[in-house]
Amino acid sequence: MSSSTEPQPEKKIHLRSSDGESFEIGEVVALESVTIKHMIEDGCADTIIPLPNVTAKILSKVIEYCSRHVAVAEGGVALGERVVDDELKAFDKEFVNVDQHTLFELILAANYLNIKNLLDLTCQTVADSIKDKSVEEVRKIFNIENDYTEEEEEEIRKEYAWAFK
Amino acid sequence: MESLPDALVHYILSKINNAKDLAICNCVSQRWKEAMPYLNRLFFPRNVFDNLSHGKTPDEIVSQIISSTINLEELVVYCPFSSIGLASWLCCAGHSLKHLELRMDSIVSYQASTETPSKLELLRSACNLESLKLWGVVMVQSPRWDIFHKLTNLEIVGASLRDHTLSEALRACPNLIQLVLLGCEGLMYVSVENPYLEQCKLDFFGAGDCFLTLKSSKLKSLEVQGCGVIRLPETQHLKSLSISNNAGQISMVELGKLVALEKLSMRGVQWSWDAISGMLQMASEVKHLYMKVEFTGDTGNLQPFPEIDFVDFFNSHPKLETLEIHGAMFAALCQKNSLKNVDSKFSIPSLEKVVITVRSPLNAEQKMSTLESLLNYTRSLKKMTIKILQMKSSHSSADDFFEYVCRLRFMNRNIVCIE
Repeated sequence: MSSSTEPQPEKKIHLRSSDGESFEIGEVVALESVTIKHMIEDGCADTIIPLPNVTAKILSKVIEYCSRHVAVAEGGVALGERVVDDELKAFDKEFVNVDQHTLFELILAANYLNIKNLLDLTCQTVADSIKDKSVEEVRKIFNIENDYTEEEEEEIRKEYAWAFK
Repeated sequence: MESLPDALVHYILSKINNAKDLAICNCVSQRWKEAMPYLNRLFFPRNVFDNLSHGKTPDEIVSQIISSTINLEELVVYCPFSSIGLASWLCCAGHSLKHLELRMDSIVSYQASTETPSKLELLRSACNLESLKLWGVVMVQSPRWDIFHKLTNLEIVGASLRDHTLSEALRACPNLIQLVLLGCEGLMYVSVENPYLEQCKLDFFGAGDCFLTLKSSKLKSLEVQGCGVIRLPETQHLKSLSISNNAGQISMVELGKLVALEKLSMRGVQWSWDAISGMLQMASEVKHLYMKVEFTGDTGNLQPFPEIDFVDFFNSHPKLETLEIHGAMFAALCQKNSLKNVDSKFSIPSLEKVVITVRSPLNAEQKMSTLESLLNYTRSLKKMTIKILQMKSSHSSADDFFEYVCRLRFMNRNIVCIE
């Protein structure tokens, strides 16, 4: 867009979490969130953007994720895809190594802020934790209320009998 | 998790693809069951129906699960199934499927010829496929596929093919970008012309005498095992090439100029000298060269390599960064006159890593001279590894050789290492 060869000072975006904390991030990082991207495009980003659905704790983690992904993507162009992939995989794995409550908060935040790769990462992590579990284990881990009646439960277990050892 | 909105629960559950886990999820709660239509990917492992005692057949259970999805994009079935089952699945999900992977097991169970239409023929209903992977296929009759316009990736592992059936299958994939044929037997003359093909990996079983002609001009990477004659007329974009033959001789390799080739690997028991010298000549831009060819000569007549001029070899491959050579090639560079053109103006500019495998202790002095030349005339050599393989230690020259090599290492501590 700009034909100037001088590096432009990066535009800063100001965010405020639900519990009143302020965060200043570079525009490139902010654009990882499609929600914020639309706000910037609509001209609502000149003052502070309030994020009533995201706490400071979660917001700072989200910013950490986006910053890292942007940095690796920019730096990795020269190194090639494979190096970028390996580095990000290691970071992502560590990033989602959090308690269940935080993980779900991250899912909600990624959904609200519309950050697809963060949403996919967090949702896949939850999905992966459901592998090879029994029905009771799953209900316990995720505190799921069993909304089947006794008859319904019996019927459905019969239908999927092949899945039970 | 209960506090998440339905859409997110559905999104999370749509990322589970193992059929057994999905069955469990269906039983967890009503709300979770409602996520089932949103599944995009399904995977049925080999033994998922081993516990089936009575009631429905595996085909029917798979059908039931597939029919409850709205937009199934990926289906992987490793458990046994019949063509009737496959027909009903593709009736349901054929249009939405982008990736399909099936363990056909046709070689083991010989149902292939008795079922009509065959499982292969049924695949035509998955008209929007982007990727198809088949295990254990018997394709001795025409698969009768329509055109898979969107198919960019085709992989067949463990197959019995025929020249004409493979041709037809490839003709049905005009937009193919990646082709993998592993452990395939029954082929004699293979011709590949898919215009957009970029990656190709071929591994043919048999006597190692297959003829291969590959005319895809956009090809970037080719790996081929088991052919005796290879014709690659269009090689302008080829970056990586690996040719090997475990079973037979490589008698001819016809190539265009390898202007983009960075990685070259040549392996086999015996290559004709024309093929070897032709390849080396064409690969003038190569950066990484791996050679493990044991003999040259004509069929049945195993010969060692003729003498190769050291200076000529390195001058014709100025961009060489890594070099890994085995016995015969190394020996060729250690002949009486190999080093005759080495002078003070000679230089090997880019070579950083050398791995040499030596089997024979004979001609030790000459071998040392060559190794020393490598050390003295390279500008950026970082590591030289000398692998000593199966050397008969009773031979007295073996001791001399070891002595020489250890001295070399001692004098070049940082660079030389012995394995």
